[in-house]
Amino acid sequence: MTVAPNQIDLPDTSETYEVDRAWQVVVWNDPVNLMSYVVWVFRKLFGHSLEQATRLMLQVHNQGRAIVSSGPLEKAELDCHRLHHHGLWATLERA
Amino acid sequence: MTEPFTRRGAEVRVRLDPEARDVLATLPELLARSGNAGGRLTYRVHPEDTAAEERYRDLVGDALDDLRNADRTAFARGVGESTISLEDAEVWMRVIGEARLALAAMLGIEKDGWENDADPRQSPEMALLSYLGYLQDRLVSVLP
Repeated sequence: MTVAPNQIDLPDTSETYEVDRAWQVVVWNDPVNLMSYVVWVFRKLFGHSLEQATRLMLQVHNQGRAIVSSGPLEKAELDCHRLHHHGLWATLERA
Repeated sequence: MTEPFTRRGAEVRVRLDPEARDVLATLPELLARSGNAGGRLTYRVHPEDTAAEERYRDLVGDALDDLRNADRTAFARGVGESTISLEDAEVWMRVIGEARLALAAMLGIEKDGWENDADPRQSPEMALLSYLGYLQDRLVSVLP
């Protein structure tokens, strides 16, 4: 174990931020999954509020797709995998 | 109509008649027969990038199938119980959802709005699809 440093130097570029935001998880509309179920999945997997999850669900329903999370590739693929486990149609795309 | 699910702390009480439980007990077999439900249970993660998709498939292997099989086993084990844990309630949610996707594939449902014309008397598959939708919605209402 080690102790936390008293002072750290912040990087002077936004490279880390760009890497963290490299991928987006897109959920696509399907005609079968219930609206109430999709809202529940968004809340459970991503910790969205009821209002935020409902807004995303309606975006999926009305516009055909919505970005529900984003991050590095490994995290985005894991999110996609969890959505598939819950029966939702999800894909990845670059931010 | 009696609510099929009620929450009691960290548990969910299940009130279903024996006939309904018999129907639910057939879901794992239904899913085993339906394969990937017309592609609805095998979505691509990188649909525009074959190499990235292959890398992803190599990475996850059979993990998704293993998770689904574990869900179906847990569901089959608990379908006769009068009380299930919240964790098992989530398993029920996923298995019921998968079964709805499989039934929709069998019925050729591809667009929104199908439920407006759906008649449970149309076929056993449509009756089951509608009933499972009711159950899933009621289950959502009791889960945190």
